Amino acid sequence: MSKFSTVYLQYVKNYYRSRSFYLMLLLISIISIMMIYFSFKYINNFPKFLGSSSIPITIKEALFYFLWTLILLYVPVFSAVFFGSPAISSEIENKTAYFIFPLPINRYKLYIGKFLAAFTVSFIIMIIYLIVEVGTLSYLFHSLPTIYFYYSLLLLIIFILTMTSVTFMISAIFNKNTYAYITVLLIYYIVFYAGSFIIELLYKIDPIYLLSDAASIIERAYMNINTADFFSTPSISPAPFADIIFSALIMVIYFIASFAIGLILFERKEVS
Amino acid sequence: MEIFMNSLTKKYGKITALNNINLNVKNHGCVGILGPNGAGKTTMLKLITNIIKPTHGEVQINGINVSEKPEKALGFVGSLIEQPEFYSYLTGKEILDFTRKIKGMNKETFNNIIDSIINTTQISSFIERKTGNYSRGMKQRLALAVAMIGDPEIIILDEPTFGLDPKGMKEIRTLIRNLARTKLILLSTHLIYEAREICDRTIIINNGIIEHDSTMADNKFLLKITLDSPGHSIVSNKIKNYTVNGNEIIVEKSNDYENFEVIEDLIGQGIKVKYVEQFDNLEDVYISITNKNKVNI
Repeated sequence: MSKFSTVYLQYVKNYYRSRSFYLMLLLISIISIMMIYFSFKYINNFPKFLGSSSIPITIKEALFYFLWTLILLYVPVFSAVFFGSPAISSEIENKTAYFIFPLPINRYKLYIGKFLAAFTVSFIIMIIYLIVEVGTLSYLFHSLPTIYFYYSLLLLIIFILTMTSVTFMISAIFNKNTYAYITVLLIYYIVFYAGSFIIELLYKIDPIYLLSDAASIIERAYMNINTADFFSTPSISPAPFADIIFSALIMVIYFIASFAIGLILFERKEVS
Repeated sequence: MEIFMNSLTKKYGKITALNNINLNVKNHGCVGILGPNGAGKTTMLKLITNIIKPTHGEVQINGINVSEKPEKALGFVGSLIEQPEFYSYLTGKEILDFTRKIKGMNKETFNNIIDSIINTTQISSFIERKTGNYSRGMKQRLALAVAMIGDPEIIILDEPTFGLDPKGMKEIRTLIRNLARTKLILLSTHLIYEAREICDRTIIINNGIIEHDSTMADNKFLLKITLDSPGHSIVSNKIKNYTVNGNEIIVEKSNDYENFEVIEDLIGQGIKVKYVEQFDNLEDVYISITNKNKVNI
């Protein structure tokens, strides 16, 4: 077994045994149960503001997938915070770096192995939700997911990779877990969300280059309603394919940039 | 087996922790790095093990630059730096197995040597427990076991007896002494008696520079025993090298016995001891070097 796979499997095991994993599992289970309840309750009895009687079945199905995905979008952020934020800083704070750094293994192998392990456990959490989603909605609508589900799934994978990469980069900056946790949450929910709102308000432009805005494509793959954009015109049609490609590209750029910076920071990381 | 430091310098902002160190240690034996707290001992060991990067200069292990090719260079090294912690939800056994895989040791070879390592470091009673429940001493012993995995030819130990009880300290010193017969051990300590007991060569660091480098043969450790009357001859199994000058006996002390044992031996032979003085060359050098700090202050 190569050193890289040893590191990967070891950290998957570490994550799997951590409290964070079970906390995320509990969180996703609660959300799944709530969404099942919501779906069964409102499948034939939509709230009036959604105008149930006039919605065709295909639109209704897309709307349910949209709503399930809308909730799902928050999970990769929390998952990245739980698994990614302490990934590097904890090695310094908990002094495990004194054990791991002098071992004969290149730092980039440690970083990539750990990154893929964090991605794997995040993806496992998402998969549980997605299985429940597909199971519930296939049962209710007597049909398998459409192509938009697969677009959304692919975009979700890119988003998990990006969020994990961003949190790893932030974790590589700090030597304390708390700073890493707070910074990730501040950046995502304050800088991205509030930044998006302020930019739109002041300059009347849609800041599509912000990660939170780009990530909205995961739900917009079903219906082009951007919940992160207060000034956009909603549409019940799926987002255009060009938008999907463009948003995916934005996320990929975030992923590559944050991964490269994180790797450089980790290579230079010192325990002093 | 060789560690070579060339113009090795480490700065933290304006503070120079290690200043232009040129040092070569090779062949088996134990080399002790002595110095007061903050002298630069741990910084030197961290640089050797790639935990930190040099500001200037380089460290080579068996001719391989540690910063450039850490995986290859550190393949020759086992280490215990500071007081390492382990992943708390893994057992001691899982930690050793993980280390084995990273060091590229196959399971069969590992199984052949692991019992010996476990017995030597005396971790058998808690190896199946999760390391989160270990005491300081247990972690220290596990860290020593980790350092020995893969049968490295160079072992770097940073205050290896820290956190151990007196019995444990003695056992670890004996272990290091035995390892030094075939391996190069680089050990940091601020305990002079520990360095004297287990090291073949001592290097004293102060304020980031090497102030003293000597072999144990250079370091005289004498006991001057003044008797109440001259003309005694000594018959002792313990005292080998000594000279008699009137009513004074100068004994070249070794680590094989304690001072009180020499006195007991003399008294047992009916010799009346007036008083005893100890002269420790290494200690004198160490104190004179570290006293310079006080003068500077």
